[in-house]
Amino acid sequence: MMFTNDSHNAFAERRFLIVDDFQGMRSMLREMLKSCGAKDIDAASNGNEAINMLEKGKYDVVLCDYTLGAGKNGQQVLEEAKFRNLIGLATGWVVISAEKTQDMVLGAAEYTPDDYIVKPVNEATVRTRLLKVMARKAALHDIEKALKSNDYKRAIALCDEQLVARSPYTSDLLRMKTSLLMKSGQTDKAKAVFEQILAQRDIPWAKSGLAKIHLLNKDFDVARRLLSEVVEANRTYLEGYDLLAKTLEEVGELDEAQHVLARSAELSPNSMTRQRSLGEIAQKRGDLEVAEKSFRKTISLSEYSVFKTPAAHIGLAKVCAEKNNTAEAIRVLGEVHKQFDDPEAALHAKVIEGAVHSKSGNLVEARKLAGEVAAMVKESAARLPAHITLEAADLIMGTGNKEAASELLKIVVQNNHENQQLIEDVKKVFVKGNMEQAGNDLVESSLQEVVQTNNRGVALAKEGKLDEAVALMRNAKAMMPNNKRILLNLAYAMILAMKKNGRDNSMEREARECLDRVQKLDPGEKLYGEYRAMLETLAT
Amino acid sequence: MDASQASETPDMTMFLASAIHDMKNSLSVLTGFMEDSLGDAALREQPIYKKMAPMFYEVKRLNDNLLELLTIYKVDRKFYPFDLAEHAVDDLMAEIEQQSGTLLNTQNVNLELDVQEGLYWYFDRDLVLGVISHALNNASRYTRGSLRLAAAEVGGFLELRVEDNGGGYPKAMIEEGVAVNRGVSFNTGSTGLGLYFSAMVAKMHKNQGRAGEILLENGGKLGGGCFVLRLP
Repeated sequence: MMFTNDSHNAFAERRFLIVDDFQGMRSMLREMLKSCGAKDIDAASNGNEAINMLEKGKYDVVLCDYTLGAGKNGQQVLEEAKFRNLIGLATGWVVISAEKTQDMVLGAAEYTPDDYIVKPVNEATVRTRLLKVMARKAALHDIEKALKSNDYKRAIALCDEQLVARSPYTSDLLRMKTSLLMKSGQTDKAKAVFEQILAQRDIPWAKSGLAKIHLLNKDFDVARRLLSEVVEANRTYLEGYDLLAKTLEEVGELDEAQHVLARSAELSPNSMTRQRSLGEIAQKRGDLEVAEKSFRKTISLSEYSVFKTPAAHIGLAKVCAEKNNTAEAIRVLGEVHKQFDDPEAALHAKVIEGAVHSKSGNLVEARKLAGEVAAMVKESAARLPAHITLEAADLIMGTGNKEAASELLKIVVQNNHENQQLIEDVKKVFVKGNMEQAGNDLVESSLQEVVQTNNRGVALAKEGKLDEAVALMRNAKAMMPNNKRILLNLAYAMILAMKKNGRDNSMEREARECLDRVQKLDPGEKLYGEYRAMLETLAT
Repeated sequence: MDASQASETPDMTMFLASAIHDMKNSLSVLTGFMEDSLGDAALREQPIYKKMAPMFYEVKRLNDNLLELLTIYKVDRKFYPFDLAEHAVDDLMAEIEQQSGTLLNTQNVNLELDVQEGLYWYFDRDLVLGVISHALNNASRYTRGSLRLAAAEVGGFLELRVEDNGGGYPKAMIEEGVAVNRGVSFNTGSTGLGLYFSAMVAKMHKNQGRAGEILLENGGKLGGGCFVLRLP
């Protein structure tokens, strides 16, 4: 009765893609879509075929089975399609699965399907669910569009507009709005929304969101209490476990953190990031058995994933070396070269290979690799992640090239002058090379250099010489592209300059890039949010 | 536990759970086929149609029971992905109506929908759908041709009612309905699976110190049995 010709048209005008490895299921779904009024229906029988078809054509609705036989699973097809922009914002993605799993319901928000249908599938369900998904996509299209173009201000305004009009998607809108407020550094406003929701009802995502703010404020006790409540009341709420593990790691309770991560990995056995986190924390605790198992699982889970990284290989190689299984460590590192076409990964693998040989007493091989690393790292050291540069310096120092090692260590210090832990690690490498005094001096002078540059920039900004401040900090950034403080000060100088001289598109982009870099280097940096909020609210 | 010991004493619940999962797949093919055939206008005139209607009821019952067993197992093992989200109540009711369409048509049962407008509530859609479908399936067996599905906010609870115009619940059954909320074991000849499942789902829905509950009553707008699910 409620399905009139309109619903028939909704199907008739859209392009559908069915992805299922069973011929029977494909034809059944095709028949169902036809009786709903669909005319344009394609089908793929595995993940690769689906990706090929998505590369070639534009689809409005994808119906995808979760299990697709060998190769990519349904979730990985969705992730790749979204990540590579093979599907647009308007495309609805519905997962069909034999059972409901936690991953499907509450995975990473940007990679969760729009809906899921648990088998048995019948025509009525397909019709109702797809109509709902199509209507929801249409209603939220403008917001997602603003989001895609990084226009947070507009996206938030659009959320508010729809919230006032008591939309049927209130839950989605509130979730979207709070995530936007968090991303743009307006944590106070986000906090108010979370608290308002929680006054009415205990909603796990709202409580986790509130905990996230406390975590950001380094208010670990409150974050821990809130998150414990979340997972106690919602035994399968994965984000709660992830955040709780992070909080526990922050306060140094690694045993408990591993325990919590083990639970979350058990609940979502197909999540490679959770397996990797579990491996990393087990490695940190010296639990080599769990670390090895988790890294191996991560590697096998990520085989077909678009988000595959060499981190699990590197971790596994280190664990094997710890267990004196040199041959296996070297084999695993060899896989990095085979599987990743990425100079940073290749360099990192070489560094660890050198360390493994060094540990097993094969100094000839270690020295040879150290030489290769020193040559490779020369150009890129400032842009590399600090831990790779540090590991490279450690290898080079250990095999006798003190000069090259000191150069690298200086770069690490300059890029991370406020990171006490890292500077301690740097000093340890100097000690290893019997150059404690020289090391301390170098650390001291590098620190002063950075601090002076920063102070000069701040002074210029205070005097109102904003252009000069921007130029100075830009220069400093070229030398130390990973220095958080320099990036923050450059962004701030540019924000002040735009406040004075008006908005400037290219400067705005540059400032945003600086802040994004800061966020990547240190997701817990508080000023990021503050500056980001300033940037978003600049008058046009 | 060491591996050799584990293989001697298999974990029966694991066996049962995966067997149920497997059986559910077969049943879903069967349900799909029957639903398709029963919807075929040409078949309505055939004598087999009359025989297929009660068969379809039985197949639905099997499917519901297996689904309930599997869910209870998962909840017990703390693996059920409980998904509390806000839904439009009229959408849920429409979906239930759609899903039970074939069953009620074949039994010549008329379903009346009475849903408070503009109502949104927080619940796990699949669980609540399972409870109400089961109640409808059950009521279709005892009704004398009319069912009423109602949804309204009553005193801070979402109240979903499945009412029929049959003879009503026996007294013992109504008492079970009260007891099951408190987790008391019961024994009325039926397996009690459906009631247990419904009460479990009700209790999983909590808000600010209040939990959901189920009620069995006689009366209602149609004067027969009433199954009531109340969610905070």
